Amino acid sequence: MFDLVLQQLANGISTGMIYALIALGLTVVFGVMHVINFAHGELYMVGALCSVMLTSRLGIPYILTVPIAAIAGALIAIVTDRIAISPVLPRKDGHALVLITTFAASMLINETVVASAGPGPIPSPGIGGWVLSLGPVALSAQRLLVIGVGLLLVIFLQLMLMRTKFGRSLRAVAQSAWAAEVVGVDVRKIAFLTLALSGLLAGLAGALVVPIVTFSAAMGSHAIINAFVIVVIGSMGSFVGAVVCGVALGVAESIASIAMSSDASSAIIYSLLLVALLLRPQGLFARSAR
Amino acid sequence: MNRATLITVVAAAAAVLASMTLPSYYASLAVYAVVLSMLGVSVNISSGYLGLMSFGHAAFFGLGAYAAGLLAVRWGVNFWLAVALASLPAAALGAVVGVASLRVSGHYFAIATLVVSEILRLLSLNWISLTRGPLGVVVPRPRIAYFESFGLIFAQYHLMICIVVLALLIEIMRRLVASPYGRAWMALRDKQELAESVGIAPLSHKVGAIALSGGIAGLAGALLVPRILVLSPDLFGTNFSATGLLAVIVGGKGTLLGPVFGGVLFAAAPELLRSIDAYRIAVFALILLLVVRIRPGGLASLLPRGSAGEARNAAIPPSKPVVQAASLAISSISKSFGGLKAIDDVSFSVLRGRILGLIGPNGAGKTTCLSLVSGFLTPSQGSIDIGPRKLTGLSAPRVAEEGVVRTFQHTTLCPMLTVFENVLIGTHLLSPETAWSAVLQTKAYLEREKVRASWAQACLEKVGLAGRHQSEAGALPYGEQRLLSIAVALAARPDFLLLDEPAAGLSGTEAVSLVRLLRQLRDDGVTIILIDHNLRMMMEICDELVVIHHGKMLAQGDPVSVRNDPAVIEAYLGQRRAGEAHAAA
Repeated sequence: MFDLVLQQLANGISTGMIYALIALGLTVVFGVMHVINFAHGELYMVGALCSVMLTSRLGIPYILTVPIAAIAGALIAIVTDRIAISPVLPRKDGHALVLITTFAASMLINETVVASAGPGPIPSPGIGGWVLSLGPVALSAQRLLVIGVGLLLVIFLQLMLMRTKFGRSLRAVAQSAWAAEVVGVDVRKIAFLTLALSGLLAGLAGALVVPIVTFSAAMGSHAIINAFVIVVIGSMGSFVGAVVCGVALGVAESIASIAMSSDASSAIIYSLLLVALLLRPQGLFARSAR
Repeated sequence: MNRATLITVVAAAAAVLASMTLPSYYASLAVYAVVLSMLGVSVNISSGYLGLMSFGHAAFFGLGAYAAGLLAVRWGVNFWLAVALASLPAAALGAVVGVASLRVSGHYFAIATLVVSEILRLLSLNWISLTRGPLGVVVPRPRIAYFESFGLIFAQYHLMICIVVLALLIEIMRRLVASPYGRAWMALRDKQELAESVGIAPLSHKVGAIALSGGIAGLAGALLVPRILVLSPDLFGTNFSATGLLAVIVGGKGTLLGPVFGGVLFAAAPELLRSIDAYRIAVFALILLLVVRIRPGGLASLLPRGSAGEARNAAIPPSKPVVQAASLAISSISKSFGGLKAIDDVSFSVLRGRILGLIGPNGAGKTTCLSLVSGFLTPSQGSIDIGPRKLTGLSAPRVAEEGVVRTFQHTTLCPMLTVFENVLIGTHLLSPETAWSAVLQTKAYLEREKVRASWAQACLEKVGLAGRHQSEAGALPYGEQRLLSIAVALAARPDFLLLDEPAAGLSGTEAVSLVRLLRQLRDDGVTIILIDHNLRMMMEICDELVVIHHGKMLAQGDPVSVRNDPAVIEAYLGQRRAGEAHAAA
């Protein structure tokens, strides 16, 4: 039993890494643009779709499909921006309308995929059958890849936010778009790049996870709700909160699967969002002072 | 019975009569249209009147359907009684979702509704012993022998019942929207600070409205059951959430009949477009996107706009009760933001019936001070009292109830509403109201509405905007918008009126009439705390001045002594000039 818990812990860290990547995109876009992109989960689904299609239909080696999927995610994010965010946001009640348009965009993307590729499931080979054994715990190469790439990305993003000009501009816009504009930051460009970055992360996450979970068109809507739980508990707009709560959620879900069905654990995890809102609506990682 | 109610009754009666002639297929389709209209009415409360987008009204809708169905099947309750009961759990769920999500921001409501509908879908799918999961619960057709004795078929009298319920709901909504409740909803949607400043408590109004919205959605769901006869987890699915939202957006959000247009349209559309049924959600999504992009007002915006809320000149002078309130005392309040002390140990008091000016250089903390007094900020230390009554720690609406009302430095009005409607929002505290009296339109309620209207008109006359009452507030010239803000604050009948730079941007003549207005108000017994940079005006009008500099109090006294205070001169004119002033003196 203990071995099983350890194994699920290890598995949970890898799925948690995926959740963290998805939640990071959502939270950064919210931080910068104050927009909740309801289509964000579908970017992840498109990344996964892109990877399985390229491997199964065109025989492209899995590892090459990962960067392509990331780019596909970014492209869909840009298209979403063009049709559903940028034109609506400057309107009088733009922040309310943008919820509707991104929600509509998510349904459109999903229905398009269901109509063209079918609802799934489609399996993906991943990077192969090699397995790392650490005592009772066995980790497939694919899961190691997820953890490795995830960690690298988190470190890379953190460095980028702190050290580069883009990172500084992004943080400036997040703090005050108006003040950033005054000192010469191109706010629209930063918003555009942030959205593309969120799509990149989501597409990448989709390609990384698809060999583990197999593709289904519904994976995006499941992922976005998980991401909502993560960003609400980890404070909307918080980088650390998204990573910590993302991994924690993956682990919790994985360990819960020992005792209950996935539907039941999902229902419980979704309920955590309501509990979190009732007890600590600003989230665990909210900055105390404005 | 007034004209609008008569129209509703006649229209409903005509529809009921017409439904007797419909063959089963069309009657059943019409039931669907009416149910979707009800769902639309429900979504319209949150997404239209409160501006809170909902992606999960299927949660309430499905809960109502399951509650009615299960009550009838498992516990043997008469189905039609169960329908009436079914709105209760849905309303309760609405209240819970509202409390959970609305303390933060409107975004969270969209997330919370989506998540709750998904939780309920999973629950209904997996709680096999109660719901039989994906198989669903079969509900027998709830026939009513009385109707059948007239030769009516089931779909016909089901439709008649639905029409009566919808007509009732529309009539309730019409009355609520025109009442202080509806005005509070729209004020909270358009300018929450304005609403709070005149005593409208945001959370309780929003949660109440969401509970109502949930209850109506639950009723709609329950009334759909006799048409589908099977309770399945799909009732909680995206399809109904999206259709409800779509009916409102396409029909026209924030309008009375918009959701009905939308409901009818989206009941008929799938029948007309049978060939594309597989792509229904995609088509709906596309329509949603296009309508928001191209015509955000929806179908209802194509109709001519009725003249809303005409000013009633009923001559009922609102008698202002003579309150012997003590002076407003501010005792050593401080406020820090992180490391910055914006207000540091400031104390002063205003005697009744006087004008106190708050002056100081930009960034001195004057507006912060006003926000502390009016409850928009809570002081880190110190206390604010009116005689024996403590204001410290009260929320802005509660402070307004104590008779302290503020205006804002940046013009804060509901720009889409008329001038008159804006002032009516300000009358919220004039006399307490219950939802029942507003829905039933009791005689006393109508009388109170008349008093509110004539008081609003009187406030407009005071600031000299009586002739503008039907203009859109956002279309007024800047100076008149400033005056309108004062009229809105006056409508709340404050004992203490806190004005934040009312003269900023006014023309010379407008400033002169403002001074006259402020004097008039003082003579009427209103105590005024005034912030402004126009020192000449301040010297002329204020009985007393308080000077704040870097968050600290520099001086207090009558205008002449303050003008000659060396510390004040230094703060305003700088060190060297202060020396010169000394030398000159």
